[in-house]
Amino acid sequence: MSFTMTQPISQSADNEPGRSIEQIKFAHPSERIAAEILEFYQIRWEYEPTVFPLEWDGNGNVVASFSPDFYLPDLDLYIELTTMSQKLVTKKNRKVRRVRELYPDINIKIFYQRDFRNLLMKYGITPEHIGGGEFIEAENGRG
Amino acid sequence: MESRKPVVPIYSAEKIALRIDALGAQIAQDYQGLDLRMVTVLKGGMFFLSDLCRAADLPLRIDFMAVSSYGAGSPGVVRITKDLDDSIENAHVLVVEDIVDTGLTLSYVLKMLRARNPSSLKVCTLFDKDVRRIVEPVITYSGFRVSDKFLVGYGLDFMGKYRNLPDVFSLEDLRTDN
Repeated sequence: MSFTMTQPISQSADNEPGRSIEQIKFAHPSERIAAEILEFYQIRWEYEPTVFPLEWDGNGNVVASFSPDFYLPDLDLYIELTTMSQKLVTKKNRKVRRVRELYPDINIKIFYQRDFRNLLMKYGITPEHIGGGEFIEAENGRG
Repeated sequence: MESRKPVVPIYSAEKIALRIDALGAQIAQDYQGLDLRMVTVLKGGMFFLSDLCRAADLPLRIDFMAVSSYGAGSPGVVRITKDLDDSIENAHVLVVEDIVDTGLTLSYVLKMLRARNPSSLKVCTLFDKDVRRIVEPVITYSGFRVSDKFLVGYGLDFMGKYRNLPDVFSLEDLRTDN
């Protein structure tokens, strides 16, 4: 695909709205938990519904893009979870910053490992419930 | 008994009491002559409600509700496990929360209460932790804006414990001490 302007791309693939949690292939177990929490509190969500092109080559082909984990249509809010190492977080921060520059009208919130870990602690969920490798390194306390 | 270094609270009982007095005075002024119902969500909010209602010099009424909480592998959706005892139709309702974090529980509660046609519906929270806010409910009265620490005490719990501490601590500090 080639793009010559900043235009988010709807991504239907196999993550269409209306699919149940069981039908969605989440990239990380923590994303499934996040989806369950949103579902529990009756917040409508979509998993990775949009791709935001970030960089183009000389021919207008997208060479870098970013797809936030969740979109909450009723709140018009994108959410990105980062339950990974600081090195990767820095890279992701840069992408989110770029998204905000190129698409100033979108609302996006980034949840860092500590944010998400503390949220789970509130619900009495320990890293063992999740099983994600990076997450198990979580330290004590809500922060 | 082994001696332990005292853990310094993030918010002492005295500091909390002073803030609640100020909130109570403001609420008393704002709701003068109105039929005010202070409603809290069990269990955490009961401590704050108990002090706040006494700090507000008004002939107000109090009521309680409880909602189910998400747990790992929880099936279904949030639901009311204890409803209000009285109707709130045409009443001025102030939802009293110990802490607003993601806003998920509060937004559900507000949605449920709004459907019952109160004259007004506002929120008073002792602690406002907005770093992880997902839903942004309007908070009219706020005691303290807090950073991203896991707070326990004065109604705030970890796995059901520590609610009874009169001061508010960082859980991390308490655990380090133990």
